[in-house]
Amino acid sequence: MERTQELFEKIEGYLAQTLSKEELLAFEKEIAEDSELKHELEKQRELHQVLRDRDTLDFKEKLQKISAEVKEEQSKSNIYFSYWKIAASIVIILGLGTLLWNNLSKTDSFSDLYASYYTLYPAEDSTRGDTANEWGDVVKNYTKGNYDAVISKLEKTTSLITSEQFRLYLGNSYLNTGKEQEALLQFQMISDTSRYGEAANWYRALTHLKLGDIKKSSEILNKIINYNGIYKEKAMQLKAELKE
Amino acid sequence: MNNPKERKILEGIADGDTVVIKAFYKKNYNYIRGYILQNSGEEEDAEDVFQDALVVMYEKLRSDTLDINVSIRTYFYAVCKNIWRSRLRKKKKLIFDNELIEANEESEEYIIEDIEKKEREHVYRKYFLTLSDACKKVLGLVFAGNNMKEIARITGYAEGYARKKKFECKKSLFDKVEKDPMYQELKITSEKEV
Repeated sequence: MERTQELFEKIEGYLAQTLSKEELLAFEKEIAEDSELKHELEKQRELHQVLRDRDTLDFKEKLQKISAEVKEEQSKSNIYFSYWKIAASIVIILGLGTLLWNNLSKTDSFSDLYASYYTLYPAEDSTRGDTANEWGDVVKNYTKGNYDAVISKLEKTTSLITSEQFRLYLGNSYLNTGKEQEALLQFQMISDTSRYGEAANWYRALTHLKLGDIKKSSEILNKIINYNGIYKEKAMQLKAELKE
Repeated sequence: MNNPKERKILEGIADGDTVVIKAFYKKNYNYIRGYILQNSGEEEDAEDVFQDALVVMYEKLRSDTLDINVSIRTYFYAVCKNIWRSRLRKKKKLIFDNELIEANEESEEYIIEDIEKKEREHVYRKYFLTLSDACKKVLGLVFAGNNMKEIARITGYAEGYARKKKFECKKSLFDKVEKDPMYQELKITSEKEV
């Protein structure tokens, strides 16, 4: 419906009840026959009703002003805060730098070793039941390397971890996001007798290696060698390298 | 509401007390902002929702229909979340993220605000306030029930010009309002009132 001044004035006259008797009758007849006109009338009625309430309008305007003020205050204080943050960071970096320097040379060779043995635990296709989609999403993210997504989903929906396989996915995701302790926890929760037990031990050994705990790593490697499964060969190689 | 501190806040809101409202804003805005940004919203959405929830509270306080037996904060957060859920639903983003944004606090369940009905009202107000000062003045006088003669006298416009101005301002307001995706077309259900 084209909005014209004439149309608006007729509607306003109707709403303000200032139409003459003839005008009113004619307009009512028009409304009855024209649903678009009726629609327009209702819109205008609503507009008038809402905006007639000056108090609420003023209140809303006040809120806009307050919001702008609060934002400005916050951005000012953020600038000061940033200066402090920069200053504090410099102090921390200087301190950490000297600490790290002493440790890096030792852990470097372990992390190289870790990197040369670590491969991502491969995901299996899984489709089951009504949560198949959620599982599918986790697996998809895992294979795509979206480890943060895997972690946040599984942490939030622990009910999804119905199989120990998912602990391996979660543990590997932690490993790839620098959360070794969390990774260890997941691997430890997989029992030796489970079909995923051997893999769990292998990743535990690697995690300890990454953390520089050679003793723990070697102990677990021995266990894997004794188990005589598919990780035996790799475990023997790694153990030999650790001895050097 | 027996807690005197809380009662003071409610009174401050009802009176439009800038100091009280500003303190409330500072204390609670970041939480709502965080919630909305986490749930597919933008900074501007957060501001709108926060303000509109306050408007809902303000109107209820003034009509004496605010009946709450939880803390203001709990109530207010629930109103904000309900408003945002309703807007998100319209943005059609809710389909895949359903569980993310379901009501998760028991207290929210009972706060079934007539949010949908209020949504169009927020839109009208929002865009009215973006009009030029001249438009706000003329339309304000129209909504207050002044006739064109009075409006011409108050604004100093010639009556013909005042009429034209009124039409242009109102039309531009409708144009803005109708472009907003949150504005649902008004359904014709009510019969005309004479």
